[in-house]
Amino acid sequence: MISSSMGIWNYWIVFLLMMIGLFLVIGRKNFLKKIVGLAIFQTSVFLLYITFGKITGATPPILNEALDKVYSNPLPHVLILTAIVVGVATTALGLSLVLRINSEYGSIEEDDISAQDLVDYHDEIETNKKLKSKFVK
Amino acid sequence: MISELIINAFLVTVMLAIAIALLKTRTVIFTVILTSAYSLVAALMFITLDAVDVAFTEASVGAGISTVLFLAAMAYLPKKEEETIGNQFIPALSCIILGAILIWCSYDLPQIGLVSSPIHQHVAPDYILGSRNDIGIPNIVTSVLASYRGYDTFGETIVVFTAGIAVLVLLQNKKKISKDTKSKIKKKVGRNA
Repeated sequence: MISSSMGIWNYWIVFLLMMIGLFLVIGRKNFLKKIVGLAIFQTSVFLLYITFGKITGATPPILNEALDKVYSNPLPHVLILTAIVVGVATTALGLSLVLRINSEYGSIEEDDISAQDLVDYHDEIETNKKLKSKFVK
Repeated sequence: MISELIINAFLVTVMLAIAIALLKTRTVIFTVILTSAYSLVAALMFITLDAVDVAFTEASVGAGISTVLFLAAMAYLPKKEEETIGNQFIPALSCIILGAILIWCSYDLPQIGLVSSPIHQHVAPDYILGSRNDIGIPNIVTSVLASYRGYDTFGETIVVFTAGIAVLVLLQNKKKISKDTKSKIKKKVGRNA
């Protein structure tokens, strides 16, 4: 009974972690927090994959001639090894984008940036109107 | 076997606690440190789940290098996150619904640690046997990474290279623009004088 409920417990928490990561990405307006959310989501997906590869009572997949043992599935390990390195590359790219946005707008809050864009757009429309009225006169 | 599962369940609950703390905090330094702790606990989990290679990669790359990147970026960014204005009801609701659907689906997933689950029936036995006979490397993960799925690793290298170039271009562009504006300003000032 304990082992059967424990057997699904991992999945539940992994799904909750995924949802927390997703909420940080879509619910928070701070760009740094969004990147942290992506990292949380990624790590929880890694956990899900590694959980699939586990066999109870098995050893890590390193061959041992002395013992004829059961090994855990090495394939998810390889996939996730690749994914971790790619994940760091994504994080670095995201952070450099955030730095660039900060140097351009002086803020990394989504509302602030869209407000600045709106003001710029409004100014542009105003200048266009002025130009038009001059041309008509 | 049961103790293994209990350690597992404990560590994954610690990860949940860290993630909830991340939801609460608004200070950037706490966010960075909690992310690092999250990666470190994930590395511990990978050890209990028999994925030793993944564990040391996560500990060095996930908890190490990405924390360094976050700290380096943090120096140039605002130190506090602004309180979110407006309604967060729709994102929260969509996350809750999606999470409920995923948890409902988890009843159809195979239980942790069963040898009979589908993932262990496909190519994994061939890799385990082939690593001994064909390739002769004791670490099966290495032999799959470098030999059986070498092209995947090649693709990964290309992705990392592309990301590196993109980061360089993005950060270099900033300096260029500031230099251009500087020269423009100098010209203007020169004319006026």
